[in-house]
Amino acid sequence: MRDTAVKFEHISMAFPGVLANDDVSLEIQRGEVFALVGENGAGKSTLMNILYGINTPTDGRVFIQGREVERFDPKTAIGLGVGMVHQHFMLVPSFTVAQNIVMSREPRRARFLFDNAKAEALTQALVEEYGLVVDPSAPVEELGVGLQQRVEILKTLFRGAEILILDEPTAVLTPQETDELFAVIRRVVKERSMTVIIITHKLYEVMAISDRVGVMRKGRLVGVKNTSEVDEKQLASMMVGRPVLYDQLQKTGSPGEELIRVDDLVVRDNRGLKAVNGLSLSVRAGEILGIAAIEGNGQSELLEAITGMRAPESGRITVRGQDVTGRSPGDIRAVGLAHVPEDRLSTGVSRSASVSHNLLTGKHREGRFNAFGFHQRTSTIQRYAQEIYDRFDMRGAGIDATVGDLSGGNMQKVVIAREFSFDTPVLVIAQPTRGVDVGAIEFIHTRIIEKRNQGCAILLCSADLDEVFRLSDRIITIYEGRITGEFTSFSKEEIGFRMTGTRQGEGEST
Amino acid sequence: MKNRDKGSYFASLALSVLLAFAIGAVILAVAGFNPVQAYAAMVDGAFSNVRHVGDFLEYAMVLCICGLACVLGSRVGIFNVGGEGQLLLGAIAACQVGVVMNGQSKWLVLPCAALAAMAVGGFYALIPGVLKVKVKVNEVITTIMLNTIAASFCQFLAKGPWKNPNRNMVAATGQLDPQYWFTTLIPSSNLSTAILIAAVMAFLTWYIMQKTAVGFEMKLTGQNPRFAFFSGIKTDKIVILCMLISGAMCGLVGMFRVYGVEHLYRSSISNQYYFEGLTVAMIARYDPVTVILLSFFFAILKIGAQGMELSAGVPNQIYLIIQTVIIFFMAAENGIFTSVQAGAQRKKARAALARKEEQSHG
Repeated sequence: MRDTAVKFEHISMAFPGVLANDDVSLEIQRGEVFALVGENGAGKSTLMNILYGINTPTDGRVFIQGREVERFDPKTAIGLGVGMVHQHFMLVPSFTVAQNIVMSREPRRARFLFDNAKAEALTQALVEEYGLVVDPSAPVEELGVGLQQRVEILKTLFRGAEILILDEPTAVLTPQETDELFAVIRRVVKERSMTVIIITHKLYEVMAISDRVGVMRKGRLVGVKNTSEVDEKQLASMMVGRPVLYDQLQKTGSPGEELIRVDDLVVRDNRGLKAVNGLSLSVRAGEILGIAAIEGNGQSELLEAITGMRAPESGRITVRGQDVTGRSPGDIRAVGLAHVPEDRLSTGVSRSASVSHNLLTGKHREGRFNAFGFHQRTSTIQRYAQEIYDRFDMRGAGIDATVGDLSGGNMQKVVIAREFSFDTPVLVIAQPTRGVDVGAIEFIHTRIIEKRNQGCAILLCSADLDEVFRLSDRIITIYEGRITGEFTSFSKEEIGFRMTGTRQGEGEST
Repeated sequence: MKNRDKGSYFASLALSVLLAFAIGAVILAVAGFNPVQAYAAMVDGAFSNVRHVGDFLEYAMVLCICGLACVLGSRVGIFNVGGEGQLLLGAIAACQVGVVMNGQSKWLVLPCAALAAMAVGGFYALIPGVLKVKVKVNEVITTIMLNTIAASFCQFLAKGPWKNPNRNMVAATGQLDPQYWFTTLIPSSNLSTAILIAAVMAFLTWYIMQKTAVGFEMKLTGQNPRFAFFSGIKTDKIVILCMLISGAMCGLVGMFRVYGVEHLYRSSISNQYYFEGLTVAMIARYDPVTVILLSFFFAILKIGAQGMELSAGVPNQIYLIIQTVIIFFMAAENGIFTSVQAGAQRKKARAALARKEEQSHG
């Protein structure tokens, strides 16, 4: 029999107004890869934050390697051999790999001076021990995301971690990088008999990497299975508590006239670097053009330029035949474009306003909402908001609730409902289902396809490659601000390859 | 504000006021005054004489319009600290119009003076507004600096080019002919017909902010400017418009002070009155109706404190102490309230958990 690495006994965690963990008991064995899945807000991160000492449970006990945890703080957890790699890396970009890894436990010379040579030697030893190849003297900012993640893992290993928690580790990785990460996980588990807990909501990854899987729903652990004994469909139903039918989306019609056209566009990012570098594309009516790119390759700046949120440096943007280069979002919307922004919190909603006011925004000047052209008709507005609310199936606190209090899924529905209600022929959609639960994803995908079938030209960008594959008629890959490939039949390997910069064919100029 | 929030807001406001008076009482007692007598003298100071009632109504008007001007700025996310300068410039411009146009019909002079006050105040607010929108200069710094410039400039005009030739004052402009004065409503008090115009202004400001599409755009711009811009709202224009109106309102307050009370320009036109209005706006959490209500409260306090000083010999600075203690409590209230609320909810969650466990065992 194997030893128990982690044991949760009747863990409950109450946050004001919500029970994030409800009587969770779970044992995780040493030397296994345990996947924790569940919708957003199901309580997976809360449970792992308890293990890492960030949260103190309201009730219940936690044992790490047989010892009961008495004080919940990360220092204690690290001392007991727990390491956590967060979704957002916590590295100092200007420091080298070695400096990041030894941080807070720096080797010293003459008591006060940082010993860089020793730090690099220690890192090199670690690299060789675990076979996680990375250059100790390279500044972290020069590394790709996959390598940065490797540095994060090395950092936890340096601190003596035997239990490694990975919070959505593949969210920012290409398929190739994901494969490499999984190879690393398998190696440390097999050779070092480490325990790896991986939080994810990508079910195929659960199947690919884990030995056992725990499914959480609404704060409770609804099941723990051996991965070999379940399939993705079963897991999905366990997650949402009902069968999920991934219907084949019905696409009808063929592309019509060109509604978005981008010629030789150059856009600079906030640091003044060329994020989009001579890019051209075109989207036609009744077509979804998907963008596959790793975060930070210019796709955000591209969409911002098209929708007027960012002024391009050069090039031309045409929407429905009109030149809209450098125009304001208001002007471009007037031409017939709606926009689901990638960051709903900062751009997509007013968090302190009500649901009804968020739904009204953009239509608030329409005659039907204003008596004599200036006096807002409150009851008409409420009725309109209620109608949209019902149509988009936003179950929750109602139209008078403050948007900031909604769950991520409902907040996203507010954004989608508003933007889709403009009935524009052109849609620019970024990250339509980021942080949205499985049930709502289905709903949103169906709406997007509906728009496509009605003849909208849709430009879609998502960090979730599966989503891009599922919805798009055509896919382009973007790397460092340029298009590296265009596909009408999709192969994951090929597209993943293009996302990392390899161009399609030889001597192509775009 | 939702009704529930409103209830808890007024509860904590009442508590803050009570605590402030209690602390004031302690200070009075330590200083050797009888607090009960002092507070009684304060009430007396405001209400015993109809003249004092007129004075506090006039001061409430000043607080209210200045406070609303501040609310208007905050609605679009701008902290207009420059109202004092806008007020002074509006006052001196309005006054000079009356002096220069002496002899004309008052139906011509008064509108011209009002327009001049609004134009000058509005323009002076436009400077920080445009700087903020176009080059992202922090408006707090620019407005504070512009206050000093305006005060010195007005002082320069009143001592130099526009100096009153007939009166032996250090710094004052020419006096208005009595036919241009606002009619006094309560004899020998400061209260004039200007308060009627102010009441209309207060209503309009409230109406525009709360009930119109433009007000809706202002609110969105203040709540999340990026979202407002994203939604197609011309946020730059809205911000500049709000600053313009805010400055024009302050300028008009200056005109009211000249044509209603002082009848010439001198520095006593405003003794940091805009800042007191701003304080009221802050305590009211920038809610227009609350600003109007609180203006009366603080005006009564201030005029009452002046009466108290005369009758009971208590320095009127006690008013400032009470006012600042209220601000202090209201600022702390938010944090205290949320932490108490969170604690209560944690307790409730724990109790619910315990109940559930009992049920499952039993």
